[in-house]
Amino acid sequence: MGQQAGRESEMSDRFDIGAYWEDFTPIERVLTAALGIVTLLLILFLGTGRLGPSYFLFLFGLGGMYALLSLGLNSQWGFTGLINFSVAAFFGIGAYGAALMTGSNSPIAGGFNPIFGLLIGLLLAGIIAVAIGIPTLRLRADYLAIATLGLAEVIRLFLQNERQWTNGSAGIRGIPSFFEGWPILGEFPRLMPGLEIGIIPGTAIVLETTFWRQLLNVSLMLVFLGAVFFILRRAQRSPWGRLQRTIRADEDLAKALGKNTYRYKMQAFVLGSLIMALAGVFYAHLNLFVNPGDLDPITTFYVWVAVILGGSGSNRGALLGGFVVVAIREGSRFANDIAFIPLDAAPLRLLLIGLLIVLVMRFRPQGLLPPQRELIWPSAVGNKAPSGPDKGVPQSDGGDPNE
Amino acid sequence: MSAIEFAANGVVYSSIIVLGSIGLAIIYSIAGFANFAHGDTMTVGAYAAFVAFGIIGGLGFGVLGLPIGFFLALLVGIAIAALVAIVTEKIVYKPLEIGSIGLLITSIGVAFVYRAMIQLGFGADANRFDIPAQRPIEELIPYGIRITSHDLAIVLSATVLVVAVHVLLQYTDLGRKMRAMADNPDLARASGIRTYRIKLWSWVLGAGLAGAGGGFLGLYNNLNPRMGFSVLLVIFAAVILGGIGSVYGAMLGGFLIGMVVEMTPLLSRVGIPIGVDYGPAVAFLIMVAVLLVRPTGIAGDGTAGGEGI
Repeated sequence: MGQQAGRESEMSDRFDIGAYWEDFTPIERVLTAALGIVTLLLILFLGTGRLGPSYFLFLFGLGGMYALLSLGLNSQWGFTGLINFSVAAFFGIGAYGAALMTGSNSPIAGGFNPIFGLLIGLLLAGIIAVAIGIPTLRLRADYLAIATLGLAEVIRLFLQNERQWTNGSAGIRGIPSFFEGWPILGEFPRLMPGLEIGIIPGTAIVLETTFWRQLLNVSLMLVFLGAVFFILRRAQRSPWGRLQRTIRADEDLAKALGKNTYRYKMQAFVLGSLIMALAGVFYAHLNLFVNPGDLDPITTFYVWVAVILGGSGSNRGALLGGFVVVAIREGSRFANDIAFIPLDAAPLRLLLIGLLIVLVMRFRPQGLLPPQRELIWPSAVGNKAPSGPDKGVPQSDGGDPNE
Repeated sequence: MSAIEFAANGVVYSSIIVLGSIGLAIIYSIAGFANFAHGDTMTVGAYAAFVAFGIIGGLGFGVLGLPIGFFLALLVGIAIAALVAIVTEKIVYKPLEIGSIGLLITSIGVAFVYRAMIQLGFGADANRFDIPAQRPIEELIPYGIRITSHDLAIVLSATVLVVAVHVLLQYTDLGRKMRAMADNPDLARASGIRTYRIKLWSWVLGAGLAGAGGGFLGLYNNLNPRMGFSVLLVIFAAVILGGIGSVYGAMLGGFLIGMVVEMTPLLSRVGIPIGVDYGPAVAFLIMVAVLLVRPTGIAGDGTAGGEGI
C-alpha cells in the first residue's frame, strides 16, 4: 500500500511540492507521513527478504482490486447516495463471468480468450443492475439497502446451488491469466529470465515466472484503476456529476429543477456496478480460482468500510480505503502469531471491521479524506485551499458550499 | 411430504419470523432506522438462553416436552438481548449525530461486533440445546401433520407473546405513548411524553422479542453465529411486505413470508424446479414484487413514510 504516496502526488494539478504541502489539511499531512513510513517498512521487508516479492505483488493487486470496488461503490453511495449492499454480488458476477468463459473446468463455455470473459462479465452485471434498479431506485434509500442485500443473497444461492452451470461450491479452476494468448504479453512471464538480487549478502531475492506474472497482473490492475479513476473524475466534475451530488444532498431539489432523478440514479447505479464487475474480472485472473465463498456478504462490508473510512464521495479516499482494508484482512491472519490469547482470525477480522464502522461513524463520519478540491475544475478555484473543508457530515457534503 | 405437512412446518417457522419482524418493526418506527443488527440480536438472545439453560438445567418437570428450565433460560435470553440493545443504544447510537442512513450503516458495524463476540466465545460450529429431540405427536399423524411437541410449544409461546404485544400497544399507557411517538415524534414530545424513555422501552421490547425468536430458532434448528444474520433478510422481507413500521403489518407479513419460505418446495410440483435452499430467495422476490406494486406494503397507510404502529 506504500505506492499510495506516489499516487497522492499524481492527484495534484499543480506540481509545486512545497506549496502543495502548505495546502494540506492536518489529517492529509499525517496520512502522507504514515504512507511514507509504510512504504519505507515495505521496502525494508522486501529488501531483507521477509516479504516475498511475488506475494507482495499479489497483495498489492488485491489492494488495487478493493480500491476498484471502492471506486464503484463510491460512485453509487458517495456521489448519488445510493445504498448498495450487493457489492459482493456484482463482484461475483464479474468474477464468474470471466471464470465461466475461460476456466478449464467451466461447465458452460471454458477456454475462450479472457477478453470475452471481461465483456460477458460486464454485460451480465449491467443487465442485473438495471433489473434490480427498476423496482428499487424509485423508493426510499433504506428499501434499496434491503433489496440489494437480498439480491446479493439470491445470486450467491444461485451460484452455490446450480451445479450444472457453476460447479456449485467446488468453484471454477484453471482460469488462465488475463494475458494468456496475447502476442507478446502471453509469453512474457515464461520468457523472462530468473533474476537473483542480493541486497543483503546471503539472502538473495529470486524473481521467477510467478513474479513476472504478478507484475503483469499489477500492471493490468493499474490500467483498470487508472482508467476508472480518470473516467470517474471527468464524469464527476461534469454537470452530470454535479447533478448526482445534488440528488444525494436533496433529491427533491433536483426534481424541482426538472431533472429525472430516477434516470440519473439508474446511470450511477449501473456505472458503479460495472466497475465492481471489472474488479471481479480482475480477481478471477489474479486468483485463478473462484467459488461462491467469494460472494460472502462480508466482502460487501469490507468495501463499505473502505469507502466510509476513506471519505464518502472522495475517490482518493476510496483508493486509500481499499488498501487499508487489505491491510486489515491480511494483517489479521498474523494475529495468531502475535496475540498472547489465541484468537481465530475470522471473528477477529469481523470484530475489527465492525468496530471500525462504528468508530468512523461516531468520530469521523466524513471519513479520513473527505472530498475537497477534486470535485471542482482546477481553474474554478484560486490558489488557496477552500476553508474548513473537513467539516460537515456525509448527508450534506454533496452540497458542499465550495462548489 | 404433503402440502398440509409443509403448511404445518410453515406455521412453526412463521411464529419465529413473526417474533423477529414485530421487534424490527417497533425499532424501525420508533428509533427511526432499518436496524441491520436485529438478526444478530436474535443470535445474542439464543446464545444467552443456551448458556442460561446450561446453568439452570432442566429442573425436573416439563411442559410439552420442554423442561421448565428452558422457559426460564428463554426469559434470561430475552433479558440479555434487551440489555445488550439498551447498552448499544446508550454507547453507540445515542451519541451519533447522523441521519437514519448513517444509523443504518452503523447498525451493520454493531451486528458484526455482536457476531464476532459470539464467534470468539463459542466458536463457529453449531450448538444444540441439551434437550432430547421429540417424536412427532401421534394424534396428529393420521391427519398428515408431523410436528413435535416442541414445535407446538414454539407456536403457543409465540402466540402468547404476540397477544401480549397487542395488549401492551392498545391498552397500556406505554403502548399509547409508543404509538403516539411512532406517529409523530415531535408532537409526542410536545404533549409531554418523555420520548427518549419511550425509545429505550421500544429497544427493550424489540430486542426482547428478537431474543425470544432467537431462542426458538435455536430450538427449531440449532445455534450458530450466523443464525440471526441468515434470517435477517427473511425478516426484512416480512416487514416490507407488511408495511415498514406497522407492527400489525409485520405480524401478517411475518406469517405470510414464513409460510412461503417453508412451502417453497411445493413449487417444484407445479413445474418450477426450486429446492428448499431457495426459500429466502423466493421470499426476497415476493418482497421486490410487493415493492413494485404497493411500496407501502399490505398494512401501509399510503404515506411513503409508513408511520404508525
